[in-house]
Amino acid sequence: MEADRKSYLNVENLNVSYKQNHVLEDISFRVERGQFVCVIGPNGGGKSTLLKALVGLLPIRSGIIRKEARNIGYVPQQLRIDAAVPLRVDEFLSLKLSKRRIWFGPGQTRTTAKKKLEEIGAAHLMNRQLSELSGGEFQRILIAYALLDNPDLLLLDEPMTGLDARGGMSFDGLLHHLNDHIGMTILMVSHDLHLVEHVSDQVLCINRSVHCHGPPDQVLQPENLSKAYGHLPGLVSGDGTEAFIPIGKLK
Amino acid sequence: MWDILQTPELERALLVAIIAGPIMGLLGTFITLRGMAFFSDAISHAALTGVGLGIALHLANDVYGPGMQLVLIVFCCLVGLMMAWLFERTSLRADTVIAFSYSGAVALGVILISQLKGYQSLEGVLFGEILFASSRDVWMILGLSVLVLAFLLLNMKALLLCVVHQDLARIAGIDIRKLNYLFVLLIALVIGFLLQQLGALLISGLIVIPAAASRMVATSFRQMLLLSAAFGLLAGVLGIAASAQLNLPTGPTIVLANVAFLIVAMALGAILGRGKLVRSGTSQLDRV
Repeated sequence: MEADRKSYLNVENLNVSYKQNHVLEDISFRVERGQFVCVIGPNGGGKSTLLKALVGLLPIRSGIIRKEARNIGYVPQQLRIDAAVPLRVDEFLSLKLSKRRIWFGPGQTRTTAKKKLEEIGAAHLMNRQLSELSGGEFQRILIAYALLDNPDLLLLDEPMTGLDARGGMSFDGLLHHLNDHIGMTILMVSHDLHLVEHVSDQVLCINRSVHCHGPPDQVLQPENLSKAYGHLPGLVSGDGTEAFIPIGKLK
Repeated sequence: MWDILQTPELERALLVAIIAGPIMGLLGTFITLRGMAFFSDAISHAALTGVGLGIALHLANDVYGPGMQLVLIVFCCLVGLMMAWLFERTSLRADTVIAFSYSGAVALGVILISQLKGYQSLEGVLFGEILFASSRDVWMILGLSVLVLAFLLLNMKALLLCVVHQDLARIAGIDIRKLNYLFVLLIALVIGFLLQQLGALLISGLIVIPAAASRMVATSFRQMLLLSAAFGLLAGVLGIAASAQLNLPTGPTIVLANVAFLIVAMALGAILGRGKLVRSGTSQLDRV
């Protein structure tokens, strides 16, 4: 019962279908307060679908999603925005901060936006246009946007995809900061098994259904991964390519 | 120069430009950001069929009359909704839907009009005649502008969030489908209303060019909106003044005034290092 009280997210026998395909089958797991849980699995295995179902972007066929967290922040998978859009970071954040129906610029929301950007080390991006940001910078802004209403649980969909090595490392630090210092509970989809090994408390390996679930040193074992992926995946480097380093060597 | 404008026709034309110019600039900002420039082009060209149908079915006989305006508004809205429905329900790309809707409707319009004996004036529909605007037209356009302004102000956050990421918009509780259909109806309404004054071939340019010019120099979305409205207003007024002074066709002169603003904005943007089309090492053509 104690574990239930601490649980921020409880998923039981979740089934999600898209058109006639069963994308997720009987997914069950739990995320507890303060945990950093990573979702791994092959492409097309339903990782992003799981996150979208959790935030209500996709309908579920059956199962239960019990959310104890008051507020859930969601960071979608996106690398950049069209250069035709001149929206500035402060303007983008004010779309959420401004409670007025009629919006015409950031106005007084700038102070709150600046504080939130300072929290994640991105205050220098305040006056930049979204279309000018690098992949890593844009991801930080999407995280700042998700953090604006102080969520208890943050869902991140492959935030490291397309980041260069430097961007990846600084991003790694940001995730540590959010989880360790702010105490944010995080559920993150990632291809980067090296990152997953370093940041997560729990790893959920899915390929339509849950293949394994547990601490990273138990889940990130060659036999588990080859079963889920159909082959032994290599480490994913910062630019999204596989580095062909057997996972077993990590342990 | 202002003496030339002291005729009732020019006064009304000027009023239309002052009211509609900024509104088209504002609307154009969202149309360009949403990648719908060709959508508005297709609706305006398809209106040729509306003209043909209006005359053939005896709904309207005068190309510039209020009956024809009503026919055009209804027809443009129907074409817009049909294209939006096809975008949604088929796996065809938007540009493909636009291409066949556009050429199909133009072909049908030309055939219809060619069969109408004794009827020859396509020119008025193609290029419009802002000098024929009546007092009633001015009031109607003022009402339309209030509607457009209210829609954009009330839905600006939703429209912008959809441009950034549709999932974020959905999570914010925005009904994207409803918003898309309403936006399409708004574009169709503006085109249907203003087609008689601004012409099927020109109206889309008048919507898109001020927004494109403002993007070249704007450093924020708010700036883009304000500059786009300002360019729409100034190009309209200068275009009418120039056409009166130089005895040139009014609609095309307004379009050329807009193009002049665009060229100046591009030059200014290049000097200030703003508004580059390419930011990430890939050209616009790479996306095609």
